[in-house]
Amino acid sequence: MDVHLTINGEAWTLDVRAGELLLHALRRAGFYGVKHGCETGECGACAIILNHRLVNSCTMLAAQADGASIITIEGLAPDRPGARGWLDPIQQAFIDCGAIQCGYCTPAQILAAKALLRENSSPTEREVREALAGVICRCTGYVKPVQAVLRVAALLRGEPAPAFDETDDGTPALPFPSTGDLPEAEEPPAFTSSGAEPTPTAIRVDAPRLILAPPRPDTRVVNRPAIKVDAVKLAKGRPVFTDDLTLPGMLYGALLTSPQAHARIRTIDTAQARALPGVHAVLTYQDVPRVIYASGGQSYPNPPPYDQVSLDSKVRHVGDRVAAVAAESPEIAEEALGLIQVEYEPLPAVFDPLEAMQEGAPVIHDEPDAVGIHDAERNLVHDLHVAYGDVEQGLAEADLVVEREYRVHQVQQVHIEPHVCITWWDEDDRLVVRSSTQVPFHTRRMLAPLVQLPIRRIRVIKPRIGGGFGGKQEMVLEDLCAHLTLATGRPVRMEYTREQSFASARSRHPQILRYRVGANKDGTLTAVHLHIIADKGAYGPHGLTVQFVSGFRGLSTYRAPHLRFDCQVVYTNKPAPGAYRGYGAPQALFALESVMEETALALGFDPVEFKRRNWLREGDEITMAKAMGEGREGFQQFVRSSGLEQCVQQGAAIANWERRYDPNWRFDPARPHIRRGLGFAVAMHGSGIAGLDMGAASIKLNDDGSFNLTVGATDLGTGSDTILAQIAAEVLGVPTEDILVYSSDTDLTPFDKGAYASSTTYISGNAVFKAAQEVRQQIIQHAARHLFLDPDPQQMTLEGRQVWTHDGRSVPLDQVALHSLHQATQHQIMASASHMSYESPPPFSAQFAELEVDIQTGQVTVQRLVIAVDCGTAINPVTASGQVEGGVIQALGYTLCEEMAYDHAGRLLTTDLRSYRVFAADEVPEMPVILVQTYEPSGPYGAKAVGEIPKHGVAPAVASAIFHATGVRLRALPFTPERVWQRLQEAQIPGVSS
Amino acid sequence: MLPDYDSLAPATWAEALAALAAQPDVVPIAGGTNVVVGMRAGELRGRTLMDINRLPELHGIRVSDGHVVIGGGTTVAELLASPAITEHAYPLHQAAAAFANPLVRNRATIGGNLVDASPAADTYPPLLVLDAEVELVSLHGVRWLPLDQFVLGVNQTERRPEELLRSVRWPLAPERSAGLHHKLALRKGTACSVMSAAVRVDTDQLGRCTAARIALGAVAPRPIRAHEAEQSLVGESLTEVTIRRAAQLAGQACRPIDDVRSSAAYRRRVAEVVVRRLLTAVDLELKEGAQA
Ligand SMILES: Cc1cc2nc3c(=O)[nH]c(=O)nc-3n(C[C@H](O)[C@H](O)[C@H](O)COP(=O)(O)OP(=O)(O)OC[C@H]3O[C@@H](n4cnc5c(N)ncnc54)[C@H](O)[C@@H]3O)c2cc1C
Ligand code: FES
Ligand code: FES
Repeated sequence: MDVHLTINGEAWTLDVRAGELLLHALRRAGFYGVKHGCETGECGACAIILNHRLVNSCTMLAAQADGASIITIEGLAPDRPGARGWLDPIQQAFIDCGAIQCGYCTPAQILAAKALLRENSSPTEREVREALAGVICRCTGYVKPVQAVLRVAALLRGEPAPAFDETDDGTPALPFPSTGDLPEAEEPPAFTSSGAEPTPTAIRVDAPRLILAPPRPDTRVVNRPAIKVDAVKLAKGRPVFTDDLTLPGMLYGALLTSPQAHARIRTIDTAQARALPGVHAVLTYQDVPRVIYASGGQSYPNPPPYDQVSLDSKVRHVGDRVAAVAAESPEIAEEALGLIQVEYEPLPAVFDPLEAMQEGAPVIHDEPDAVGIHDAERNLVHDLHVAYGDVEQGLAEADLVVEREYRVHQVQQVHIEPHVCITWWDEDDRLVVRSSTQVPFHTRRMLAPLVQLPIRRIRVIKPRIGGGFGGKQEMVLEDLCAHLTLATGRPVRMEYTREQSFASARSRHPQILRYRVGANKDGTLTAVHLHIIADKGAYGPHGLTVQFVSGFRGLSTYRAPHLRFDCQVVYTNKPAPGAYRGYGAPQALFALESVMEETALALGFDPVEFKRRNWLREGDEITMAKAMGEGREGFQQFVRSSGLEQCVQQGAAIANWERRYDPNWRFDPARPHIRRGLGFAVAMHGSGIAGLDMGAASIKLNDDGSFNLTVGATDLGTGSDTILAQIAAEVLGVPTEDILVYSSDTDLTPFDKGAYASSTTYISGNAVFKAAQEVRQQIIQHAARHLFLDPDPQQMTLEGRQVWTHDGRSVPLDQVALHSLHQATQHQIMASASHMSYESPPPFSAQFAELEVDIQTGQVTVQRLVIAVDCGTAINPVTASGQVEGGVIQALGYTLCEEMAYDHAGRLLTTDLRSYRVFAADEVPEMPVILVQTYEPSGPYGAKAVGEIPKHGVAPAVASAIFHATGVRLRALPFTPERVWQRLQEAQIPGVSS
Repeated sequence: MLPDYDSLAPATWAEALAALAAQPDVVPIAGGTNVVVGMRAGELRGRTLMDINRLPELHGIRVSDGHVVIGGGTTVAELLASPAITEHAYPLHQAAAAFANPLVRNRATIGGNLVDASPAADTYPPLLVLDAEVELVSLHGVRWLPLDQFVLGVNQTERRPEELLRSVRWPLAPERSAGLHHKLALRKGTACSVMSAAVRVDTDQLGRCTAARIALGAVAPRPIRAHEAEQSLVGESLTEVTIRRAAQLAGQACRPIDDVRSSAAYRRRVAEVVVRRLLTAVDLELKEGAQA
């Protein structure tokens, strides 16, 4: 049927089916700026403006839009001949404020702002938050998007916008406190705490507070805000994501998943499905080679176990792979799935790791060809023991031993862009895989044996990625999609539904953590023992290394002469956890910080003081580093830079920590059911995997003095392309826009292990630094010899797109470029470099939480999360603070409300974004960020990592604050109202049951 | 599986009613926020989708004859923006403000919410305390049903397949009456949606309760009224004691099921707390009203 409508001011007639979603019709018509993240009305990525109102295009039929007027992101500042790249003021504000990370939610957020500002030119912060509330952003924590909308509203009203002052060269700059002394701590300028609304004109200056500790080299590009190199295309909603491409003859893949938690496939009949017109392939375990592999995207050789095959005759969890289909439309593919008849032989299933280890429990991996399982009969994937000193002796010597058990649950990454890939044969009969992946190079290497092609015949392209957070450090569907291309010869696109993202992709490992801490009355530690039982779900990816990180992190922040880590990693019939930002650290640090606070209190110490006595300082050895590498022996490490003490002091000042001792603050007689609390935690992480992670970069000079920078590092929304460009620009004496970054494509860019383990700034950044240094030398050499006729290049510098001699002569870079390419000793000025480090310098953080507990309902309302982070030098303070804000909010979800829940048969109950609750813009607390900058000698320009550290402190700080508020210690996440209420009941807090 | 559908876009009210009468498998679709999601999940009963959005009969908010009357196609966003709703149906205004998010509110209609009849449907508790009635129209005629009788169970109502819900109405509140609504949900850093409640108390000049309404959502297979709790207040002044007793009775009226979010015991518990707080707030409002 035909639907007539106006899209972005132009008349359109769309031929649609009666049941077709408006979302699909619009994307089919080429409006790729309309995204999708759930198709059930929850995420808002598909927002459009329909007759002046913001609506989801996935909960209405295309037919319902007949006669309507629609605006999509493409309509805001349409690219026209002669006017490409112009921007709507809202788009400009999102770019300027650093409000765009992965950019997947950005078109919808910008449209939400557009709809708001049309009706309300002076919105308050609360109104802005409410207007953005329907568009979930998993990256930003909403701080900068809200700031962007307030800013553009002010600009449109003709008011000056103070948040970003212009420096003379036109780049926005954030206010910097001067080097050295700490600035006076004060409330953040215009962020009101609860109660009064800010006046609409007051734009919050939410720029991170930067504190510069030691002196550092004077830099021009690095350590300053820079506009993200990909911001414009993302703000304009250009077709840059994996799915924004339709190839001729492309088929649509779909995955049949298991309804059974544990079963053998007795028979599987695909005849009917194959017979359905439009179906081109149906694959089951009978159709693909049985090659055993591990799906985690990790360095060669992948850590054991190898316990997966592309398709198997046995299913091990509800949501496990059963069959794959390729058909001419998604609808036909889905219909074909329904026609596949599977007869299952159900097997007993087990969902609890403690039960799974028992004698007689169902054996989940009984296949003979699995490799590297510690004891398959007992479902024991790994049994790990690492000791430093003698823990029993240390405990025996202690004045006090504190033993506690903590439990952490399973949560999901919830990147808004689902897992998606497109595979096809190119003209050279090579398999091209365009995939939303964090690990293109690992994927190429891991895919080759599964599809039985040599690595050289595979090319993996990573376009822009709509968030990953570790979920895409995994080969979850590239192999199936490739098999479908192999089977049909056609391009195939395959995507997980949101439900499959929950039930068939990866998540964070649940654990039971038991600590035994020995301490003396003087507040020193004698021993720490950590025993973890980890739930591995049905398959092993990342099981070894996540748990190693848990053990390492759980035994590293504090000095103790005796340490031990024991761990059992156990299979259960649940969707397999994998990598999730923070890896094994959030689990361990929740328990570690909690047990240290409990120990301090048991000894009669102030928890901050107790922790301070014991935490690692500059010069200290990280004792477990040698024993615990990435699932193997590691390398000796020392702390060479630490701003932890500063983080604690700065954070405490901003958090008004002294209120902790004010009974009047904690209890408000007007609201007798409310208790207030302040909590605290510290955290330590690493920067890359020592002795393993490698990143590489190539830089070449172009005729006009610009440079191509190609990196294997995979920017998944974090801004890594931008900070890598900044590093190159700094070395080469040019502004960031002179660096044209491309990442990543296994054919075109050098290797990088991928985006994980907090490694990109530190590892890939150092590779860029080295390559740029080399190019710089080549430029100077050429200029010295041919243009200055000066034999001594030693004292020459690059600055302002010029090569300078010490006596003030200069030539512009484009002249060097033209000369070297065309005129004398013709050659390409270019260099490549790679970097690996035996160190993994720790970033630190101090996290403060302020909250209210409603003791009658158990509701915990977190009002303020103050975080101070030592990430070394912040290469780009805007992207760095954006990482922190987004990470803190993900961590708050982990703490309060995100949880994968199952029924008795192992069926996931939280399969959509309504039952699995991710924070929206109007639900997040105030979140000041302080960057306490140290100078890490081994990092590029002194930088360490920032990506994962914000994930660690929130849960223990909230637990600490709840304890402060109520006197009740919560040792199991998440702190849902009911769980809190129950614990308060058990503790018989006065007033609880009234 | 996604079977293909037929679609209808009747231009007139009569056409719409005729289509419903002629074909048993016609599904009216208003905002589509339930229907489209249900269709994708393969849960739809019919195969012909009839867009009723454009029918003028379903739109408009007006106050006449001592009643507020709103069209069944009124969106939640329209409710939220309407001064008449804020003035005459404050609990409904509050429910609209707590409803989903702005995008969903721009599509979701009150008719869809009532006909879909989820136990957690947010417009039920406020409309129940307002004594709302729904107007059901088919080729055979028009009938009005009190909302309490309209809703039967999970996704079940008295609506016959050939009927459209044309409007919802309720009497203007008498003087010295106050009502409030609260949804216990994920807001401002708290955790997930649990239940909702609305209360309304009418009083005489002496401040004694002449009528009380207490309605609860998400605590039973259908939104419910807590009749015993209401009764316990009639003839009484609102005091800590009477409020506490009524709240307890309201808690006992719950017939919740355990689910992912919370156990039955907890829902009952918070229902009691929420009702107590709402009654306390209503009492305050009435007293302030009396002073003014
Ligand atoms: C993301 C999301 C969040 C949501 N949050 C909430 C929430 O917070 N609170 C809440 O209560 N609900 C919520 N819902 C559910 C839904 O939005 C509401 O129930 C909404 O009011 C339904 O209205 P609609 O117009 O979209 O209904 P539709 O989907 O169009 O129709 C729903 C049902 O009513 C029937 N129908 C509709 N109009 C009429 C009529 N006039 N006469 C007869 N039959 C009719 C349809 O045939 C169908 O059976 C949410 C839904 C989504 C997708
Ligand atoms: S895709 Fe429409 S709301 Fe998520
Ligand atoms: S920037 Fe919002 S989801 Fe990534």
